[in-house]
Amino acid sequence: MSKFKNFLEALGGAFHLILETIKIGFQRPIYTKLILDQIYHIGVRSLPLVLIVAASSGMVMALQFGYGLAKFGGKLYVPKIVSLSIVREMGPVFACLMLAARVSAGITSEIGSMKVTQQIDAIRALGTSPLKKIVFPRLTACMIAIPMLSAGAIIVGVAGGLMVGSLELGLDTQFYLQKIFTTIKLNDYLSGFGKTFFFAFFIASTSCYYGLTVTGGTQGVGHATTKSVVTSSILIVAGDYFLTKFFLVIEQWL
Amino acid sequence: MAIIEVNNFSKKFGNKIVHKNIEFQVNKGECLGLLGGSGAGKSVILRSLIGLEKPDTGSIKIEGEEIVYKTEKELIEIRKKVAYVFQNGALFDSMNVFDNLAYPLKEHTKLNQQQISDEISKILIEFGLDGNEHIFPSELSGGMQKRVGLARSIIINPHIVLFDEPTAGLDPFNTIKIQETILKLKEKGMTSIFVTHDMPSAFAVCDRLALVQEGKVTCIDTVQNVKKDENNIINQFIKGYYV
Ligand SMILES: Nc1ncnc2c1ncn2[C@@H]1O[C@H](COP(=O)(O)OP(=O)(O)O)[C@@H](O)[C@H]1O
Ligand SMILES: [Mg+2]
Repeated sequence: MSKFKNFLEALGGAFHLILETIKIGFQRPIYTKLILDQIYHIGVRSLPLVLIVAASSGMVMALQFGYGLAKFGGKLYVPKIVSLSIVREMGPVFACLMLAARVSAGITSEIGSMKVTQQIDAIRALGTSPLKKIVFPRLTACMIAIPMLSAGAIIVGVAGGLMVGSLELGLDTQFYLQKIFTTIKLNDYLSGFGKTFFFAFFIASTSCYYGLTVTGGTQGVGHATTKSVVTSSILIVAGDYFLTKFFLVIEQWL
Repeated sequence: MAIIEVNNFSKKFGNKIVHKNIEFQVNKGECLGLLGGSGAGKSVILRSLIGLEKPDTGSIKIEGEEIVYKTEKELIEIRKKVAYVFQNGALFDSMNVFDNLAYPLKEHTKLNQQQISDEISKILIEFGLDGNEHIFPSELSGGMQKRVGLARSIIINPHIVLFDEPTAGLDPFNTIKIQETILKLKEKGMTSIFVTHDMPSAFAVCDRLALVQEGKVTCIDTVQNVKKDENNIINQFIKGYYV
Protein backbone atom coordinates (compact mmCIF):
# COMPACT_ATOMS: atom_id res chain seq x y z
CA MET A 1 0.00 0.00 0.00
CA SER A 2 2.77 2.40 0.93
CA LYS A 3 4.42 1.51 -2.35
CA PHE A 4 1.34 2.64 -4.21
CA LYS A 5 1.28 5.82 -2.15
CA ASN A 6 4.93 6.48 -3.06
CA PHE A 7 4.08 5.90 -6.69
CA LEU A 8 1.25 8.44 -6.60
CA GLU A 9 3.45 10.86 -4.72
CA ALA A 10 6.11 10.52 -7.40
CA LEU A 11 3.55 11.20 -10.12
CA GLY A 12 2.37 14.30 -8.32
CA GLY A 13 5.93 15.43 -7.73
CA ALA A 14 6.92 14.86 -11.34
CA PHE A 15 3.91 16.75 -12.61
CA HIS A 16 4.59 19.64 -10.27
CA LEU A 17 8.24 19.71 -11.31
CA ILE A 18 7.29 20.03 -14.96
CA LEU A 19 4.77 22.80 -14.24
CA GLU A 20 7.45 24.79 -12.41
CA THR A 21 9.91 24.12 -15.21
CA ILE A 22 7.52 25.31 -17.90
CA LYS A 23 6.77 28.42 -15.86
CA ILE A 24 10.38 29.56 -15.83
CA GLY A 25 11.73 27.67 -18.83
CA PHE A 26 10.65 30.21 -21.39
CA GLN A 27 12.00 33.18 -19.46
CA ARG A 28 15.32 34.46 -20.67
CA PRO A 29 18.05 33.39 -20.85
CA ILE A 30 17.14 30.30 -22.86
CA TYR A 31 20.07 27.93 -23.12
CA THR A 32 19.71 26.82 -26.74
CA LYS A 33 23.01 25.00 -26.75
CA LEU A 34 21.97 22.82 -23.81
CA ILE A 35 18.76 21.91 -25.63
CA LEU A 36 20.64 20.98 -28.81
CA ASP A 37 23.10 18.89 -26.80
CA GLN A 38 20.22 16.97 -25.29
CA ILE A 39 18.53 16.47 -28.64
CA TYR A 40 21.76 14.90 -29.79
CA HIS A 41 22.07 12.65 -26.73
CA ILE A 42 18.41 11.68 -26.49
CA GLY A 43 17.51 11.75 -30.15
CA VAL A 44 20.38 11.06 -32.47
CA ARG A 45 22.06 8.51 -30.23
CA SER A 46 18.85 6.54 -29.70
CA LEU A 47 18.27 6.26 -33.42
CA PRO A 48 19.96 2.87 -34.02
CA LEU A 49 18.15 1.20 -31.10
CA VAL A 50 14.74 2.52 -32.07
CA LEU A 51 15.11 1.70 -35.75
CA ILE A 52 16.39 -1.82 -35.17
CA VAL A 53 13.51 -2.59 -32.81
CA ALA A 54 11.00 -1.06 -35.24
CA ALA A 55 12.31 -2.94 -38.26
CA SER A 56 12.37 -6.30 -36.53
CA SER A 57 8.94 -5.89 -34.95
CA GLY A 58 7.47 -5.01 -38.36
CA MET A 59 9.19 -7.99 -39.93
CA VAL A 60 8.11 -10.44 -37.24
CA MET A 61 4.52 -9.26 -37.38
CA ALA A 62 4.35 -9.70 -41.11
CA LEU A 63 5.81 -13.17 -40.76
CA GLN A 64 3.41 -14.25 -37.99
CA PHE A 65 0.32 -12.87 -39.66
CA GLY A 66 1.48 -14.15 -43.01
CA TYR A 67 1.72 -17.78 -41.89
CA GLY A 68 -1.20 -17.49 -39.47
CA LEU A 69 -3.62 -16.05 -42.00
CA ALA A 70 -2.43 -18.23 -44.85
CA LYS A 71 -4.28 -21.16 -43.22
CA PHE A 72 -7.54 -19.29 -43.75
CA GLY A 73 -6.55 -17.92 -47.11
CA GLY A 74 -6.22 -14.48 -45.60
CA LYS A 75 -2.66 -13.67 -46.62
CA LEU A 76 -3.89 -10.75 -48.66
CA TYR A 77 -4.93 -9.03 -45.46
CA VAL A 78 -1.35 -8.93 -44.19
CA PRO A 79 -0.51 -5.44 -45.58
CA LYS A 80 -3.64 -3.98 -44.02
CA ILE A 81 -3.32 -5.58 -40.60
CA VAL A 82 0.41 -5.20 -40.19
CA SER A 83 0.70 -1.60 -41.32
CA LEU A 84 -2.38 -0.47 -39.43
CA SER A 85 -1.27 -2.00 -36.15
CA ILE A 86 2.23 -0.59 -36.57
CA VAL A 87 0.97 2.91 -37.28
CA ARG A 88 -1.63 2.95 -34.53
CA GLU A 89 0.04 0.93 -31.77
CA MET A 90 3.17 -1.11 -32.22
CA GLY A 91 5.38 1.55 -33.77
CA PRO A 92 4.87 4.30 -31.20
CA VAL A 93 4.51 2.02 -28.16
CA PHE A 94 7.54 -0.16 -28.88
CA ALA A 95 9.67 2.86 -29.72
CA CYS A 96 8.64 4.70 -26.58
CA LEU A 97 9.12 1.65 -24.37
CA MET A 98 12.66 1.29 -25.68
CA LEU A 99 13.17 4.99 -25.12
CA ALA A 100 11.69 4.74 -21.62
CA ALA A 101 14.51 2.32 -20.86
CA ARG A 102 17.33 4.09 -22.61
CA VAL A 103 16.43 7.73 -22.05
CA SER A 104 14.94 7.47 -18.55
CA ALA A 105 17.91 5.50 -17.29
CA GLY A 106 20.30 7.98 -18.85
CA ILE A 107 18.58 11.07 -17.51
CA THR A 108 17.90 9.77 -14.00
CA SER A 109 21.38 8.41 -13.46
CA GLU A 110 23.01 11.57 -14.79
CA ILE A 111 20.90 13.96 -12.73
CA GLY A 112 21.08 11.64 -9.73
CA SER A 113 24.87 11.57 -9.84
CA MET A 114 24.90 15.34 -10.07
CA LYS A 115 22.62 15.46 -7.05
CA VAL A 116 24.76 13.22 -4.84
CA THR A 117 27.97 15.02 -5.80
CA GLN A 118 26.32 18.36 -4.95
CA GLN A 119 26.46 19.62 -8.53
CA ILE A 120 22.74 20.40 -8.40
CA ASP A 121 23.33 22.40 -5.21
CA ALA A 122 26.22 24.13 -6.95
CA ILE A 123 23.95 25.20 -9.82
CA ARG A 124 21.66 26.83 -7.28
CA ALA A 125 24.48 28.24 -5.18
CA LEU A 126 25.94 29.90 -8.27
CA GLY A 127 22.70 31.80 -8.73
CA THR A 128 21.23 29.65 -11.50
CA SER A 129 18.30 27.29 -11.68
CA PRO A 130 18.51 23.50 -12.10
CA LEU A 131 15.04 23.63 -13.64
CA LYS A 132 16.35 25.88 -16.40
CA LYS A 133 19.79 24.34 -16.73
CA ILE A 134 18.92 20.67 -16.34
CA VAL A 135 15.19 19.91 -16.55
CA PHE A 136 14.05 22.29 -19.27
CA PRO A 137 16.63 21.21 -21.88
CA ARG A 138 15.83 17.54 -21.25
CA LEU A 139 12.08 18.10 -21.32
CA THR A 140 12.28 20.10 -24.54
CA ALA A 141 14.61 17.61 -26.17
CA CYS A 142 12.31 14.72 -25.23
CA MET A 143 9.25 16.51 -26.57
CA ILE A 144 11.04 17.10 -29.87
CA ALA A 145 13.15 13.97 -30.31
CA ILE A 146 10.84 11.24 -29.04
CA PRO A 147 7.94 11.96 -31.44
CA MET A 148 10.43 12.23 -34.29
CA LEU A 149 12.06 8.92 -33.37
CA SER A 150 8.61 7.35 -33.11
CA ALA A 151 7.68 8.65 -36.53
CA GLY A 152 10.88 7.08 -37.83
CA ALA A 153 9.99 3.85 -36.06
CA ILE A 154 6.55 3.81 -37.70
CA ILE A 155 8.02 4.25 -41.17
CA VAL A 156 10.75 1.68 -40.66
CA GLY A 157 8.30 -0.76 -39.06
CA VAL A 158 5.91 -0.55 -41.99
CA ALA A 159 8.84 -0.91 -44.37
CA GLY A 160 10.00 -4.00 -42.46
CA GLY A 161 6.56 -5.51 -42.93
CA LEU A 162 6.65 -4.66 -46.59
CA MET A 163 10.02 -6.31 -47.00
CA VAL A 164 8.95 -9.58 -45.41
CA GLY A 165 5.61 -9.39 -47.21
CA SER A 166 7.18 -9.23 -50.63
CA LEU A 167 10.35 -11.30 -50.11
CA GLU A 168 9.11 -13.98 -47.75
CA LEU A 169 5.35 -14.15 -48.23
CA GLY A 170 5.47 -13.57 -51.93
CA LEU A 171 3.04 -10.65 -51.92
CA ASP A 172 3.32 -8.19 -54.77
CA THR A 173 5.19 -5.05 -53.73
CA GLN A 174 2.91 -2.76 -55.72
CA PHE A 175 -0.13 -4.35 -54.14
CA TYR A 176 1.38 -4.09 -50.66
CA LEU A 177 2.24 -0.41 -51.11
CA GLN A 178 -1.17 0.39 -52.49
CA LYS A 179 -2.83 -1.34 -49.54
CA ILE A 180 -0.72 0.69 -47.11
CA PHE A 181 -1.78 3.97 -48.64
CA THR A 182 -5.45 3.11 -49.00
CA THR A 183 -5.83 1.54 -45.55
CA ILE A 184 -4.10 4.04 -43.34
CA LYS A 185 -5.97 7.30 -42.95
CA LEU A 186 -4.84 10.57 -41.50
CA ASN A 187 -6.59 9.84 -38.21
CA ASP A 188 -4.56 6.64 -37.81
CA TYR A 189 -1.35 8.59 -38.07
CA LEU A 190 -2.75 11.19 -35.74
CA SER A 191 -3.63 8.66 -33.09
CA GLY A 192 -0.33 6.82 -33.33
CA PHE A 193 1.86 9.88 -33.58
CA GLY A 194 -0.21 11.99 -31.15
CA LYS A 195 0.36 9.53 -28.33
CA THR A 196 4.10 9.92 -28.54
CA PHE A 197 3.96 13.48 -27.21
CA PHE A 198 2.31 12.12 -24.08
CA PHE A 199 4.83 9.30 -23.85
CA ALA A 200 7.66 11.81 -24.21
CA PHE A 201 6.16 13.82 -21.40
CA PHE A 202 5.93 10.71 -19.16
CA ILE A 203 9.56 9.84 -19.86
CA ALA A 204 10.93 13.34 -19.30
CA SER A 205 8.94 14.14 -16.19
CA THR A 206 9.51 10.90 -14.30
CA SER A 207 13.18 10.63 -15.18
CA CYS A 208 13.98 14.22 -14.14
CA TYR A 209 11.91 13.89 -10.99
CA TYR A 210 13.58 10.66 -9.84
CA GLY A 211 16.98 12.13 -10.62
CA LEU A 212 16.45 15.30 -8.64
CA THR A 213 15.02 13.47 -5.63
CA VAL A 214 17.83 10.95 -5.24
CA THR A 215 19.00 10.45 -1.67
CA GLY A 216 21.52 8.06 -0.22
CA GLY A 217 24.60 8.32 -2.38
CA THR A 218 25.50 6.14 -5.35
CA GLN A 219 23.25 3.31 -4.18
CA GLY A 220 20.39 5.79 -4.24
CA VAL A 221 21.21 6.63 -7.85
CA GLY A 222 20.82 2.96 -8.80
CA HIS A 223 17.47 2.69 -7.01
CA ALA A 224 16.16 5.87 -8.55
CA THR A 225 17.22 4.78 -12.04
CA THR A 226 15.37 1.48 -11.70
CA LYS A 227 12.25 3.21 -10.40
CA SER A 228 12.40 5.76 -13.15
CA VAL A 229 12.51 3.12 -15.91
CA VAL A 230 9.74 1.07 -14.31
CA THR A 231 7.50 4.07 -13.70
CA SER A 232 7.84 5.55 -17.16
CA SER A 233 7.26 2.13 -18.78
CA ILE A 234 4.13 1.58 -16.67
CA LEU A 235 2.87 5.03 -17.53
CA ILE A 236 3.35 4.32 -21.21
CA VAL A 237 1.64 0.93 -21.19
CA ALA A 238 -1.22 1.99 -18.91
CA GLY A 239 -1.50 5.42 -20.47
CA ASP A 240 -1.69 3.84 -23.92
CA TYR A 241 -5.12 2.38 -23.17
CA PHE A 242 -6.57 5.70 -22.13
CA LEU A 243 -4.83 7.61 -24.89
CA THR A 244 -6.20 5.17 -27.45
CA LYS A 245 -9.70 5.79 -26.11
CA PHE A 246 -9.06 9.50 -26.06
CA PHE A 247 -7.96 9.54 -29.68
CA LEU A 248 -10.89 7.34 -30.72
CA VAL A 249 -13.23 9.97 -29.32
CA ILE A 250 -11.36 12.73 -31.10
CA GLU A 251 -11.38 10.77 -34.37
CA GLN A 252 -15.15 10.59 -34.19
CA TRP A 253 -15.35 14.36 -34.09
CA LEU A 254 -13.13 14.72 -37.13
CA MET B 1 28.38 46.09 11.80
CA ALA B 2 26.83 42.64 11.55
CA ILE B 3 26.73 41.51 7.95
CA ILE B 4 25.29 38.07 8.75
CA GLU B 5 22.71 37.77 11.54
CA VAL B 6 21.08 34.48 12.49
CA ASN B 7 18.39 34.46 15.17
CA ASN B 8 16.19 31.79 16.72
CA PHE B 9 17.07 29.38 13.87
CA SER B 10 15.57 25.92 14.16
CA LYS B 11 15.48 23.04 11.71
CA LYS B 12 14.42 19.43 11.72
CA PHE B 13 14.42 16.72 9.06
CA GLY B 14 11.44 14.43 9.61
CA ASN B 15 11.56 13.60 13.31
CA LYS B 16 15.21 14.42 13.65
CA ILE B 17 15.78 17.77 15.31
CA VAL B 18 19.06 19.16 14.05
CA HIS B 19 18.87 22.75 15.29
CA LYS B 20 16.87 24.12 18.22
CA ASN B 21 17.96 27.69 18.53
CA ILE B 22 20.99 28.89 16.62
CA GLU B 23 22.02 32.51 17.10
CA PHE B 24 25.18 34.26 15.96
CA GLN B 25 26.43 37.26 14.05
CA VAL B 26 29.36 37.83 11.75
CA ASN B 27 30.81 41.32 11.35
CA LYS B 28 32.03 42.89 8.16
CA GLY B 29 35.51 41.72 7.19
CA GLU B 30 35.52 39.07 9.86
CA CYS B 31 36.16 35.35 9.53
CA LEU B 32 34.08 33.22 11.89
CA GLY B 33 35.21 29.64 12.45
CA LEU B 34 32.27 27.26 12.91
CA LEU B 35 33.18 24.16 14.89
CA GLY B 36 31.18 21.13 15.96
CA GLY B 37 31.17 17.35 15.78
CA SER B 38 30.28 15.53 12.59
CA GLY B 39 26.54 15.68 12.08
CA ALA B 40 26.20 18.71 14.38
CA GLY B 41 24.54 20.54 11.53
CA LYS B 42 27.27 22.91 10.38
CA SER B 43 26.57 22.32 6.70
CA VAL B 44 22.85 22.81 7.32
CA ILE B 45 23.61 26.26 8.76
CA LEU B 46 25.80 27.24 5.81
CA ARG B 47 23.27 25.94 3.28
CA SER B 48 20.53 27.95 4.96
CA LEU B 49 22.54 31.14 4.63
CA ILE B 50 22.10 31.05 0.85
CA GLY B 51 18.63 29.57 0.90
CA LEU B 52 19.57 26.03 -0.17
CA GLU B 53 17.74 24.92 2.97
CA LYS B 54 14.76 26.66 4.60
CA PRO B 55 14.75 26.95 8.42
CA ASP B 56 11.59 25.89 10.26
CA THR B 57 11.65 29.02 12.37
CA GLY B 58 13.91 32.01 12.79
CA SER B 59 15.48 34.80 10.87
CA ILE B 60 18.55 35.04 8.67
CA LYS B 61 19.69 38.48 7.62
CA ILE B 62 22.39 39.04 5.00
CA GLU B 63 23.59 42.66 4.87
CA GLY B 64 20.44 43.59 6.78
CA GLU B 65 18.11 41.80 4.36
CA GLU B 66 15.84 38.99 5.57
CA ILE B 67 16.30 35.98 3.26
CA VAL B 68 14.15 33.26 4.86
CA TYR B 69 11.02 34.08 2.88
CA LYS B 70 12.70 34.79 -0.42
CA THR B 71 11.73 32.73 -3.46
CA GLU B 72 14.28 30.81 -5.50
CA LYS B 73 14.28 33.67 -8.01
CA GLU B 74 14.77 36.39 -5.40
CA LEU B 75 17.61 34.38 -3.89
CA ILE B 76 19.68 34.79 -7.07
CA GLU B 77 20.74 38.28 -5.97
CA ILE B 78 21.75 36.92 -2.54
CA ARG B 79 23.71 34.08 -4.15
CA LYS B 80 25.71 36.55 -6.23
CA LYS B 81 26.81 38.23 -2.99
CA VAL B 82 27.29 35.08 -0.91
CA ALA B 83 29.47 32.34 -2.33
CA TYR B 84 29.44 28.75 -1.11
CA VAL B 85 32.58 26.64 -1.33
CA PHE B 86 31.46 23.00 -1.34
CA GLN B 87 33.30 20.35 0.57
CA ASN B 88 34.49 18.48 -2.52
CA GLY B 89 34.41 21.32 -4.99
CA ALA B 90 31.13 20.20 -6.59
CA LEU B 91 32.64 20.91 -10.00
CA PHE B 92 30.46 20.22 -13.03
CA ASP B 93 32.03 17.04 -14.34
CA SER B 94 30.62 17.52 -17.82
CA MET B 95 32.72 20.69 -18.18
CA ASN B 96 36.45 21.28 -18.17
CA VAL B 97 38.14 23.61 -15.71
CA PHE B 98 37.83 26.60 -18.02
CA ASP B 99 34.09 26.15 -18.53
CA ASN B 100 33.54 25.57 -14.82
CA LEU B 101 35.21 28.90 -14.08
CA ALA B 102 33.44 30.63 -16.97
CA TYR B 103 30.03 29.52 -15.70
CA PRO B 104 29.44 32.27 -13.11
CA LEU B 105 31.06 34.88 -15.36
CA LYS B 106 28.74 34.06 -18.25
CA GLU B 107 25.71 34.05 -15.99
CA HIS B 108 26.30 37.13 -13.93
CA THR B 109 28.62 39.49 -15.78
CA LYS B 110 28.57 41.21 -19.14
CA LEU B 111 32.19 40.30 -19.95
CA ASN B 112 32.97 39.25 -23.52
CA GLN B 113 34.80 36.05 -24.50
CA GLN B 114 38.23 37.70 -24.35
CA GLN B 115 37.61 39.29 -20.95
CA ILE B 116 36.28 36.02 -19.56
CA SER B 117 39.33 34.17 -20.73
CA ASP B 118 41.59 36.88 -19.24
CA GLU B 119 39.80 36.64 -15.89
CA ILE B 120 40.17 32.90 -15.89
CA SER B 121 43.88 33.00 -16.75
CA LYS B 122 44.40 35.46 -13.94
CA ILE B 123 42.64 33.40 -11.29
CA LEU B 124 44.26 30.14 -12.46
CA ILE B 125 47.70 31.68 -12.05
CA GLU B 126 46.74 33.08 -8.67
CA PHE B 127 45.65 29.61 -7.53
CA GLY B 128 48.67 27.86 -9.05
CA LEU B 129 46.43 26.02 -11.50
CA ASP B 130 47.53 27.49 -14.82
CA GLY B 131 47.82 25.02 -17.66
CA ASN B 132 44.81 23.01 -16.44
CA GLU B 133 42.17 24.89 -18.44
CA HIS B 134 41.20 21.94 -20.61
CA ILE B 135 41.37 19.24 -17.97
CA PHE B 136 38.13 17.65 -16.76
CA PRO B 137 37.42 17.51 -13.02
CA SER B 138 37.67 13.71 -12.86
CA GLU B 139 41.32 13.97 -13.91
CA LEU B 140 42.23 16.45 -11.16
CA SER B 141 43.48 15.51 -7.71
CA GLY B 142 41.15 16.13 -4.76
CA GLY B 143 43.15 19.15 -3.67
CA MET B 144 43.04 20.67 -7.13
CA GLN B 145 39.28 20.06 -7.38
CA LYS B 146 38.79 21.94 -4.13
CA ARG B 147 40.93 24.82 -5.35
CA VAL B 148 39.06 25.05 -8.65
CA GLY B 149 35.79 24.96 -6.68
CA LEU B 150 37.05 27.79 -4.50
CA ALA B 151 38.14 29.76 -7.57
CA ARG B 152 34.74 29.26 -9.20
CA SER B 153 32.98 30.51 -6.06
CA ILE B 154 34.95 33.73 -5.74
CA ILE B 155 35.49 34.64 -9.39
CA ILE B 156 32.59 37.12 -9.40
CA ASN B 157 33.85 38.85 -6.22
CA PRO B 158 31.23 37.94 -3.62
CA HIS B 159 31.04 39.95 -0.38
CA ILE B 160 30.69 36.86 1.77
CA VAL B 161 32.20 33.41 1.34
CA LEU B 162 31.01 30.27 3.15
CA PHE B 163 33.68 27.58 3.34
CA ASP B 164 32.51 24.03 4.07
CA GLU B 165 35.58 22.14 5.31
CA PRO B 166 37.84 23.50 2.57
CA THR B 167 40.94 21.85 3.99
CA ALA B 168 39.46 18.46 4.93
CA GLY B 169 41.50 15.62 3.50
CA LEU B 170 44.14 17.86 1.95
CA ASP B 171 47.90 17.47 2.12
CA PRO B 172 49.91 20.22 3.91
CA PHE B 173 50.78 21.96 0.63
CA ASN B 174 47.14 22.33 -0.46
CA THR B 175 46.07 23.23 3.07
CA ILE B 176 48.53 26.12 3.20
CA LYS B 177 47.44 27.23 -0.28
CA ILE B 178 43.81 27.41 0.85
CA GLN B 179 44.78 29.28 4.04
CA GLU B 180 46.75 31.81 2.01
CA THR B 181 43.82 32.32 -0.34
CA ILE B 182 41.41 32.95 2.51
CA LEU B 183 43.81 35.40 4.14
CA LYS B 184 44.27 37.24 0.86
CA LEU B 185 40.51 37.53 0.42
CA LYS B 186 40.22 38.78 3.97
CA GLU B 187 42.69 41.56 3.24
CA LYS B 188 40.36 42.67 0.48
CA GLY B 189 37.59 43.03 3.07
CA MET B 190 35.72 39.80 2.47
CA THR B 191 33.55 38.37 5.24
CA SER B 192 33.55 34.62 5.73
CA ILE B 193 32.42 31.62 7.70
CA PHE B 194 34.85 28.74 7.90
CA VAL B 195 33.46 25.34 8.86
CA THR B 196 36.31 23.06 9.82
CA HIS B 197 37.80 20.35 11.99
CA ASP B 198 41.29 21.51 11.07
CA MET B 199 42.31 23.61 14.08
CA PRO B 200 45.66 24.93 12.81
CA SER B 201 43.84 26.38 9.80
CA ALA B 202 41.06 27.77 11.97
CA PHE B 203 43.64 29.48 14.18
CA ALA B 204 45.47 30.80 11.13
CA VAL B 205 42.52 32.43 9.41
CA CYS B 206 39.67 32.99 11.90
CA ASP B 207 39.02 36.01 14.12
CA ARG B 208 36.39 34.33 16.25
CA LEU B 209 35.26 30.75 16.78
CA ALA B 210 31.77 29.40 17.43
CA LEU B 211 30.85 25.93 18.64
CA VAL B 212 27.65 24.18 17.56
CA GLN B 213 26.40 21.51 19.95
CA GLU B 214 22.97 19.89 20.20
CA GLY B 215 21.31 22.45 18.02
CA LYS B 216 22.70 25.53 19.70
CA VAL B 217 25.76 27.75 19.58
CA THR B 218 27.16 26.94 23.01
CA CYS B 219 30.13 29.28 22.85
CA ILE B 220 31.38 32.05 20.62
CA ASP B 221 34.62 33.87 21.37
CA THR B 222 37.77 35.35 19.87
CA VAL B 223 40.63 33.07 18.91
CA GLN B 224 42.90 34.70 21.53
CA ASN B 225 40.41 34.08 24.33
CA VAL B 226 39.86 30.50 23.27
CA LYS B 227 43.58 29.78 23.26
CA LYS B 228 44.18 31.58 26.56
CA ASP B 229 41.32 30.27 28.68
CA GLU B 230 41.70 26.63 29.72
CA ASN B 231 38.08 26.54 30.90
CA ASN B 232 36.63 27.87 27.67
CA ILE B 233 34.18 25.37 26.17
CA ILE B 234 35.78 25.59 22.74
CA ASN B 235 39.22 25.13 24.24
CA GLN B 236 38.00 21.94 25.88
CA PHE B 237 36.20 20.80 22.74
CA ILE B 238 39.42 21.16 20.76
CA LYS B 239 41.42 19.23 23.33
CA GLY B 240 38.85 16.46 23.13
CA TYR B 241 39.69 16.21 19.47
CA TYR B 242 43.38 15.93 20.05
CA VAL B 243 43.14 13.32 22.81
N1 LIG C 1 18.45 16.82 3.37
C1 LIG C 1 18.53 16.17 4.55
N2 LIG C 1 17.60 15.23 4.85
C2 LIG C 1 17.64 14.58 6.02
N3 LIG C 1 18.57 14.77 6.97
C3 LIG C 1 19.52 15.68 6.73
C4 LIG C 1 19.54 16.43 5.50
N4 LIG C 1 20.60 17.28 5.54
C5 LIG C 1 21.20 17.07 6.73
N5 LIG C 1 20.55 16.11 7.45
C6 LIG C 1 20.90 15.64 8.78
O1 LIG C 1 21.24 16.76 9.57
C7 LIG C 1 22.34 16.48 10.39
C8 LIG C 1 23.39 17.54 10.23
O2 LIG C 1 24.00 17.41 8.97
P1 LIG C 1 25.21 18.33 8.50
O3 LIG C 1 24.82 19.75 8.57
O4 LIG C 1 25.64 17.81 7.19
O5 LIG C 1 26.31 18.02 9.60
P2 LIG C 1 27.81 18.56 9.66
O6 LIG C 1 27.89 19.34 10.90
O7 LIG C 1 28.67 17.35 9.73
O8 LIG C 1 28.05 19.38 8.45
C9 LIG C 1 22.83 15.10 10.04
O9 LIG C 1 22.41 14.21 11.05
C10 LIG C 1 22.14 14.77 8.75
O10 LIG C 1 21.80 13.43 8.74
MG1 LIG D 1 29.20 19.06 6.72
